Amino acid sequence: MRGLSLHRSWRLLLIVALLAAAILLPLGQKNYFIYVLTSWLIFTIAAMGLNLTLGYAGQISLAQASFMALGAYTTALMTLAGWHWLVSLPVGLTLCFVVGLVLGYPALRVKGHFLAFVTLAFNTLVFLVLRNEEWLTGGTYGLSGMPRPEFGSFSTDKQLPFYYFTLGVTVLAALGLWAIVRSPWGRAFKALRENPIRAESLGVDTRRFTLLAFAIGSAYGGLAGALVTPLVQFIEPGSFGLAHSLRILLMVVVGGAGYFFGPFIGAAVVILLPEVLRFTEGYYLIIYSALVIVMLVFVPSGLIGIFGKLRARFWPRRQVRADMAEGARLP
Amino acid sequence: MKRHRNRFSVDWEDKVGRSKNYSGLLLAALIALPVGSVSAQTANTVKLGMVGELSGAGAPSGTNWRDGARLAVTEVNAAGGILGKKVEMPEYDTQTDPQVSRALVQKAIDEGVVAIIGTVYSGSTLVNMLVAKQNSIPQFVGSEAPTIVERGNPFVYRTSSGAQKGVPALTPYFKDTLKAKKVGVAWVNNEFGRGGRNVFIAEMKKAGIDVIIDVPSEQAQTDYAADVAKLKSANPDAVFVYMNQEESARFLIEAKKQTLPMPLVGEVTLTEAKVIELAGPAAEGAIAHVGVTATATEVPGIAAFAKSFEETFKRKPTHDAIKGYVGVWSTKYVMDMVGKTDGEAFSKKMKGLCLKVADHPKILLDTCWDDRGEMSRPSFMVQVKGGSPVVIGAVPAN
Repeated sequence: MRGLSLHRSWRLLLIVALLAAAILLPLGQKNYFIYVLTSWLIFTIAAMGLNLTLGYAGQISLAQASFMALGAYTTALMTLAGWHWLVSLPVGLTLCFVVGLVLGYPALRVKGHFLAFVTLAFNTLVFLVLRNEEWLTGGTYGLSGMPRPEFGSFSTDKQLPFYYFTLGVTVLAALGLWAIVRSPWGRAFKALRENPIRAESLGVDTRRFTLLAFAIGSAYGGLAGALVTPLVQFIEPGSFGLAHSLRILLMVVVGGAGYFFGPFIGAAVVILLPEVLRFTEGYYLIIYSALVIVMLVFVPSGLIGIFGKLRARFWPRRQVRADMAEGARLP
Repeated sequence: MKRHRNRFSVDWEDKVGRSKNYSGLLLAALIALPVGSVSAQTANTVKLGMVGELSGAGAPSGTNWRDGARLAVTEVNAAGGILGKKVEMPEYDTQTDPQVSRALVQKAIDEGVVAIIGTVYSGSTLVNMLVAKQNSIPQFVGSEAPTIVERGNPFVYRTSSGAQKGVPALTPYFKDTLKAKKVGVAWVNNEFGRGGRNVFIAEMKKAGIDVIIDVPSEQAQTDYAADVAKLKSANPDAVFVYMNQEESARFLIEAKKQTLPMPLVGEVTLTEAKVIELAGPAAEGAIAHVGVTATATEVPGIAAFAKSFEETFKRKPTHDAIKGYVGVWSTKYVMDMVGKTDGEAFSKKMKGLCLKVADHPKILLDTCWDDRGEMSRPSFMVQVKGGSPVVIGAVPAN
């Protein structure tokens, strides 16, 4: 027990150190760097949601970008109409939760690739609605000029305050997810991923938890969307296409599906790595793609799995789950 | 107890807990890298930021835009640079993603550019022009969406006329050259097609010409037999064809098959190289209004541009290449006039500015900007003859 509590205090210290780094990092940096960091945080939130649906509950979804779109357009339309961002947020999240719940229904009947196609179709559907319903969404030219929120005397108009605002939201979102995955719900999600029949035999209401996994994951997508709107101050359907859903999926897989900190690392790789590689000019996307392929071949459990592997080799402790060596078994 | 509680779970805290140590390091390494790479601007150079679609769907446009701009930078430097200083043009690839383009315009400005050259796709320009505006940085764009100049942004300038100017430029051709009394419209039913068709019908009404037949078709439609048959039986004096490249080519092939007798007139796409390639001999005789074309070689500036572009890049320039070229040269001319790199002064100078070829040869054609950044300059009527578009007339600036 003493070892465990020591372990826990180390962990706490690390989280505090990382948080301090996140606070200090953008100080004195140029706007571009702060902007990239902010989008890293936002995509982390979206990936956290998909990590819950896919990594923890094992339900594949290729529709995360469309939930970002729902959140983003709800926020955009409401803030443009003069409502405060804080008012638009619960509306957007509720919308995503409800739509996520509905999208979860097919997941009760279909699994794996078929579920992927259902969610893919949903993403395309949302894209088409956003593009064609010009009276509401502005069509291909999108919506622009959304104000950034103000909280009393704290205005997020400049990049740095907006970064801190996003960081605050990200920390809250992470704490929320932390609570979920540690709760009985979290364990039910994992049971669902590992062996749904056994889970059901142990009294887990698989139907309810499948729907919940979708709904909560979607609400996280909506939260990310609600932050994209004030960050970019311009949204258009093309920013929420299938390619973006795949990008979020890549973040989850590269970071490590089913690991709490996987999305942070995955989003860092997908958002920050190409930026870091830009100095190679014409080759940067080629190098980036090659690196991603190498990562997936050698560490299928995601980057966070590297550390687990290294530790298992040099510092073996009790064997907890041998089957997790290859990461969460995704459908 | 602890063990039991975790029986179901992955026990991620054990797996991940200590590894955060390393993940933090990795993260810090990833983040810290770009910080050192920001180079300081030296006092003897002027930086222009080329932000363009170098990868993704927009790459055919963006790379031509970039090459046109590159050629201009070489020439500007040979001619003494801007304000007597050497011009540098760092390039930023937007991946045809509006959000990335916004970040990159910010990056370019952080790195000390005095003007932005790009972007070409309207969706990107609409996002990133907000950043250039906030920083009072002049921006020459290759985008043609009408909304770009309607947002009250004094720092954005076109390098070609907006789409709302193209179709009206055809009216004199129908009225005076073809002397048409009744016309038909064949158009593709998407956003692009509907927009052009609506402007055309309004224009014909103003000119007193009857539109006697209106034939919409679907995007990616393959069979135009019925459409062409309808047009043939209505027998208008001319047909306005407004479709994307592939549709235009299929329409031309069917029109040839059914020997549609009247002139087929389009806007830009109908005589584009891709359409001619796809339609083959069926494209022969098609007429279109084009904003700027590298085939207008009787204009000395364009002929010289086309020649050196081909020598440098071993291929023919497109209209996007001309736009990038004009963007860089306009920046040079205006900055030299203002006498400093100040964005506000630049913006004031641009209002209602006209650059004549006689004084500023590299502008290629006499060009004016209005107080919104919209551009007007002469354009051309071209017709496909012997497998390539040939200029058959000039249209004055409107």
